[in-house]
Amino acid sequence: MNLKRCVAACIATLSIISLAACGGGSGTSSGVTDTKTDKGLKVLGQNVTYDPNHLVNDGKPISVDYWTWGDKSTDPVFSLIKDYEKIYPNVKINVVTVTWDDYWTKLPLALKGKNGPALFNVHNSQDALLRPYLANYDIPIKDLEADYTNVNTHEVDGKVAYIDSVINTGNIYYNKTMWKEAGLSDSDIPKTWDQLVAVAKKLTKFNGSKMVQAGFNINGDSTYDALWQGLNYQKGELMFNKAGTKGNYDNAVTKENLQFLKDLYDKDKVGATNFGDDATQSFGNAQTAMVYRWGWMEGTMKEKYPDVDYGVFPTPTFTEETPFAYDRYNGESTAGINKNQSEEQQKVAQDFIKYMLANDDYQRYAVKALNSFPAKKSMQDDATILSNPVMAAIKPRIDRLIWPGPAPSTMETSPKQAFQNVFQNGTSISKAVSDAQAQIEKDMKSGSFTSLESKYAFYDEAAAKQ
Amino acid sequence: MRNIAVTALIVYFSIFMVYPIYKAFAGSLHEWNPLVGTYNWVGLDNFKSVLSDGLFWKSLWNTAYFSVFSIVFRIILGLGLALLLSSRLVKAKDSLRGLFYMPTITPLVAVSFVWMWMFDPQFGMINKVTGLDINWLNDSHWALPAIIIMTIWKDFGYATVLYLAGLMNLPRDVYEAAQIDGANSWQTFWRITLPLLKPTTLFIVITSLITYVQAYVQILVMTEGGPGTQTYTISYLIFDQAFQKYDFGTASAMSVILFAITGVLTILMFRASGDMEQS
Repeated sequence: MNLKRCVAACIATLSIISLAACGGGSGTSSGVTDTKTDKGLKVLGQNVTYDPNHLVNDGKPISVDYWTWGDKSTDPVFSLIKDYEKIYPNVKINVVTVTWDDYWTKLPLALKGKNGPALFNVHNSQDALLRPYLANYDIPIKDLEADYTNVNTHEVDGKVAYIDSVINTGNIYYNKTMWKEAGLSDSDIPKTWDQLVAVAKKLTKFNGSKMVQAGFNINGDSTYDALWQGLNYQKGELMFNKAGTKGNYDNAVTKENLQFLKDLYDKDKVGATNFGDDATQSFGNAQTAMVYRWGWMEGTMKEKYPDVDYGVFPTPTFTEETPFAYDRYNGESTAGINKNQSEEQQKVAQDFIKYMLANDDYQRYAVKALNSFPAKKSMQDDATILSNPVMAAIKPRIDRLIWPGPAPSTMETSPKQAFQNVFQNGTSISKAVSDAQAQIEKDMKSGSFTSLESKYAFYDEAAAKQ
Repeated sequence: MRNIAVTALIVYFSIFMVYPIYKAFAGSLHEWNPLVGTYNWVGLDNFKSVLSDGLFWKSLWNTAYFSVFSIVFRIILGLGLALLLSSRLVKAKDSLRGLFYMPTITPLVAVSFVWMWMFDPQFGMINKVTGLDINWLNDSHWALPAIIIMTIWKDFGYATVLYLAGLMNLPRDVYEAAQIDGANSWQTFWRITLPLLKPTTLFIVITSLITYVQAYVQILVMTEGGPGTQTYTISYLIFDQAFQKYDFGTASAMSVILFAITGVLTILMFRASGDMEQS
């Protein structure tokens, strides 16, 4: 190869390498310098406290990245960043939004390197994926436990890398107009599943043999994959075995509950498999009177179906006695800190997290954005928060909601397939449940998940049965 | 300049083609999750696990079913329309050709969403127009055919354009000779047009096959493999294994098997075509 060729090859290679090397990165910003230590602001918080009267990064300009899949209306951190930047003008937090589907591949790859975001949104279902890159919070755990519920479920070796900001669970959403048309009143709000079936029958309408209004609709995603866990917990059946490492789906309670749901359609005729394929859409289009949904439904209704007059009541139980647990809950997580980032960046991130956890405004933003119940104890009796019907429905049950830990996705996807196999493919309940169990065991074989059900305050009630 | 271009191409192919293919082959022999850095040698375990998995074989069957029906109807519709457009019966040929080709250049995700609404059992156009009462995408018998219908609609325009080009290049003297010999329209089509269009047909079959064995976008958007696992295709299974379950090792083993199947089918088709040429 002559010299000309060598030079040409080098130029081409360098061009490609330089193109690949192009990319944003956080670091020292060319912004303003902050010299004002005394901000004239009060100390925030009860046990986790935050005194804003200090300099961040010694007042020198700094820019950190925050990655999220959310937007202003769904991620409360957006509002908090604005507040924080006002106090510390030398700090610039760049928000990078990545769609949910891409987030879980792009984020871990970014966190592997040294230029990943210092702060990032966490979803506890992806704990295994993020855990290797998470730095622990620099806050004493006893202070966190004094201020927030369920901190212990996130504890690893006496430290936490994120906790629940707000918590959520399922409720029944009902169409108030249909309710009145059927001659029902507030006193008819069902407390047991039998009562719900009776009410659903009154709310179901037919035109000849064709259903035109469903009393209770479980079609599509987001019902069975979430509801089966709640139904099983109500009867004291745990999601995992005693060791917490194996999914417990194939059992008599699961089959009994799946049969109960099948009977809703086949015997009680309060819904039908071919009555649309999405219960949310059907409820929004005023074709369905009741659906089981989590807090996100509020946002969907506001955004897509603002004209529907609806109410919310707590999910019924099988008897009026206090169950082992009313339902599963899930926490929305506080932001994570990248342990591979520079010390300087991590220090700013730790400061921001402390500001977040001490600040009641963060809880208000989170409750509003995520339609979820505050995890901060001091906010759980807040009258404004409890005026929201979802919060009012969750409040009395808060102690009897269980979190199994960041369960592998197969605990939702495999039961969802079992549901579809029973309802749409004509598979017998036994076979569908057993196939799903096999899939769960296969998917969990190589993982290292251990359930946190044993951390639930009333765990012994169910463990005794197993 | 030529050297720069060639080197750039070599570097490009090495980074974006050769290395990923090598990585997939190597990954198929490992327990591999690049997102958390797991990479442990397991030998042929991933292949054993894949080959003993009922869902893998079901997905393979669904892929074959999907590919065969999509390719056959793509060819029949494409050829039929090309013949119609090249005949004297149809006017405004250019506009129609453009119209039929439009779905091909429309993004598959957008098309899938539109067809999802069209298949909606309560509001969808398909049931309204046909008077049927089918829950298309949630019915175990209809979900895969529904996706095939959408795919054929999206893709037949590609075959039409290729066949039109093929028809325009057919030698006129053969047709004149056939006319002199008294061949009727059907005989002319069956004995002359179709055999002469064989290279075009083969090209469409091979490119379609390569496309359809990799089909997963429409599955992801329209059914997510459901109801149950009724619409799992092999590529959707690979996507599910890699990007939902983060089991890149098993997904790579599936990809290697798919690569081998596609390779063998392509070679067989070329051989069959060569044999037919000779005979």
